[in-house]
Amino acid sequence: MNRRARVVLASGSLLLMVLVVLHLGVGSVSLTPGEVLRAVLDQADQPLHRQIVWDLRLPRAMIAIVAGALLGLAGALLQAIMRNPLAEPGLTGVSAGGVFFAVLWLTRGGTMAEPGRTLALVALAGGLAASGLVVLMARGPSGNTDPVRLVLAGVLVSSILSSATALVLLRNNQALGSILTWMIGSLNGRVWVHWEALWPWAAFALPVGLLCAGVANALQLGDPIAAGIGVPVERARLALLAIAALLAASAVAAVGAVGFVGLIGPHLTRRLVGDDARCVFPGSAVLTAVLLVGADVAAQIITLNPPFATTPYRAGLPVGAVTALLGAPFFLYLLRRSGS
Amino acid sequence: MIAQPRHALRALALTVTLLLGLLVIGMLALQQGTPTLTPGQLGAILFAGEGERLTRIVVLELRLPRLALGIASGALLALSGVILQDTLRNPLAGPELLGITGGAAVIVGAITIFRLPAPAALVPWFTLAGGLAGGLVVLLAAQSMRSTLRLILVGASVTAFLNALLIGMISLATQNDVNLLFLFLVGSLANRTWAHLAIVLPWALLGVPAALLCARLLNVLQLGDDLAAGLGLAVAPVRLLLLVIGAALVAAVVAVCGPIGWVALLAPHLARRLLATPNAAYVLPIAALIGAALLTSADLLARLVLAPTELPVGIWTTLLGGPLLLILLRSHVGVRHE
Repeated sequence: MNRRARVVLASGSLLLMVLVVLHLGVGSVSLTPGEVLRAVLDQADQPLHRQIVWDLRLPRAMIAIVAGALLGLAGALLQAIMRNPLAEPGLTGVSAGGVFFAVLWLTRGGTMAEPGRTLALVALAGGLAASGLVVLMARGPSGNTDPVRLVLAGVLVSSILSSATALVLLRNNQALGSILTWMIGSLNGRVWVHWEALWPWAAFALPVGLLCAGVANALQLGDPIAAGIGVPVERARLALLAIAALLAASAVAAVGAVGFVGLIGPHLTRRLVGDDARCVFPGSAVLTAVLLVGADVAAQIITLNPPFATTPYRAGLPVGAVTALLGAPFFLYLLRRSGS
Repeated sequence: MIAQPRHALRALALTVTLLLGLLVIGMLALQQGTPTLTPGQLGAILFAGEGERLTRIVVLELRLPRLALGIASGALLALSGVILQDTLRNPLAGPELLGITGGAAVIVGAITIFRLPAPAALVPWFTLAGGLAGGLVVLLAAQSMRSTLRLILVGASVTAFLNALLIGMISLATQNDVNLLFLFLVGSLANRTWAHLAIVLPWALLGVPAALLCARLLNVLQLGDDLAAGLGLAVAPVRLLLLVIGAALVAAVVAVCGPIGWVALLAPHLARRLLATPNAAYVLPIAALIGAALLTSADLLARLVLAPTELPVGIWTTLLGGPLLLILLRSHVGVRHE
C-alpha cells in the first residue's frame, strides 16, 4: 500500500470516528460530544445517557459502519471484475434479489422482528440468483459483458424484483417502517438483535473481500493479460462475483437495499488513491462507511427538524432516501463522463 | 410505410379481437368481487335498473367508474408511449423512463401530502408541469436522445431521485400510511369514483383525437431527421410539440391514478409486433386498445388474486410488463446500442 493510500485510510478513519460521535449524539435527546464519549466509556453523567447510547444508538451506529463497509467493498469488487464504472450492488440486481429472498424468508416465518443469522444466507442466495441472471442477460454477441447493457439489465431486473418484494410485503400487511426498510433501505429501529445477525457475516466477508485485491488487480488488466499471468479468468470472476454478492447480501439483510453508496464510495476512493485494488478495497470500505454514517446523521437531523409541517407519528426519513438524493446526481455525472 | 391492404385488414381484425377482449375483461371486472354476480344479474342492474340497492351501488358507483378509468388511463398511457417512442426514435422511451411520470408523481404527491389548496380539476395541469420538468431533465442529461441505453440509465437515476423525494415527504409528513406510499410510487386504481373519472375525461376526449392526428407527423419523423426536414417538416418544433402532447397524455392519469408503469412502454411494442408494421396510423389506435386491455386486466388481477387484500395495480403492471419488455427488447437493444 502506498503512502497516499495510507493517508487516505487514516484520515478516513478519523472522519468516521468524528461522524460516529456525532451520530451517537443526534436524536430526540441531543447529547454533546463530551457526553457521548463519557457515556460510551461508561462514565455517563446520567444513567439515561448511558441507556440511550448503549441500548439505542450504538447498535445503529455500528450497523451503519459495517453495512457501509460491506457495501463499499462489494461495489469496489463489482467495479473491478466487471471493469465497469457503473457497477454497484443496487444496479447489478444483487440488492434487489437479496431483499426479495430475505422478505420472502421473513414473512414465511411470520415475524419480521427477529432477523436471525440465516437471513444473510438467504439474501445471498437471492443476490446470487439475481446477479447471475443480470450477467447472463448482459452478455453481448461476443460473449463479453457490456458495461451499459449490464446496468440496463440490472435496472430492469431490479425493478421487477422490487415489485415482487412490494407484493410480498403488502400481502403480509407490513407497516410503513418495515416497507421503507426493505424497499429503500433504512437504519431506523436497528438494535442489538440486528447487530447480532450482521457481525458474524461481516467478520467473515470483509477479510475475504480484502484478500481478493490481488486477483482483482489481475482481472483489471483485461482478460488476455490476466490469463497470460496465470489467472483462470472465468473461474476467478465467478468467485469474486460470489464474494461481492456475499458482502452485499450481508449488508442488505441488515439494512435493506440502500442504493448508490456502493457506487460513490469506491469512485471517491479511486479518485484519491489510484487504481491499485490493494489500496482501493480498504479505502472503499472506510470511505463508504463514512458516507453511510454521514447520510444517517443527515437523515436523523432532517427527521428531527423536518423542512415542513409533519405529524408526530411519522416513520422517519430512511437513510436510503438520503443516499438516493445524493447518489442519483452523482450517477448522472458518471454517466456523462463515461459516455464521452 | 405505405398503407397496404393487408395491414389495414390486420388492423381491423386486431381491433375486433381487442374490443371483444375488452368486453370480456369488462364483464369480469363488473361481475367479480364481493358480491359476485352472474351475467344475468349484471345485465339486470345495468340495463333494467333492477337489483338490490347495495349491489347496484357496488356495480354502478364502484366497479363501473373504476373500469372506465382503467380503460381511459390505459389508452392514454399507451398513446403517450407510441408518441414518445416514435418522436425520439427510441424503443425505450416511455413516460416512466423519461422522468415524466416521476416528475408528475412528485407534484401530485406534494399536493396530496401537504393538502395544498389545488382544485381537483387543475391538478392535471400541475402534474403536466412536473412531468415536463422531469422529462426535460432527463433529455438534457442524456444528451443524445436516441441512445437507448443512456436514456434508460439517466431515466432510472432521475426516477430514483424523484422517488427519494416522495419517500422523504411521505416518511416525514404522513402518519403510518402505506397506501399513500404505493399510490405515489407505483400507482393504483383502488377506490376511484366517477369524480376521478371526471378529471381524466376532458384530457382523454381532447388527448386521444389529438394523438391519433399525430400519426402522419410520427411516420415522417420515423424516417430520420434529414429525410423529415427534406420533406418540409420543421423537425425541432414538431418534436417539441409532440413531446408536450406525450407528457399531456399522462398528466391526468398520474394526477388521478399515480405513476402506473410499463403500460406505456409495452403497449406500443405489442402493437407493432401484432401489426407487423411501424405505421403510426395503425399503431396508435391498436396500442390504445392494447393499453386499455393491459391495464384493466392488471387491475382485475390486483383486485382478485390476493383477495381480500388488494394490491396496487402498478405492482402488477411491473410484474407482468417488466419480463415481457425484457423479452421483447432482448434482441432489439443489441442492434440499437451505439
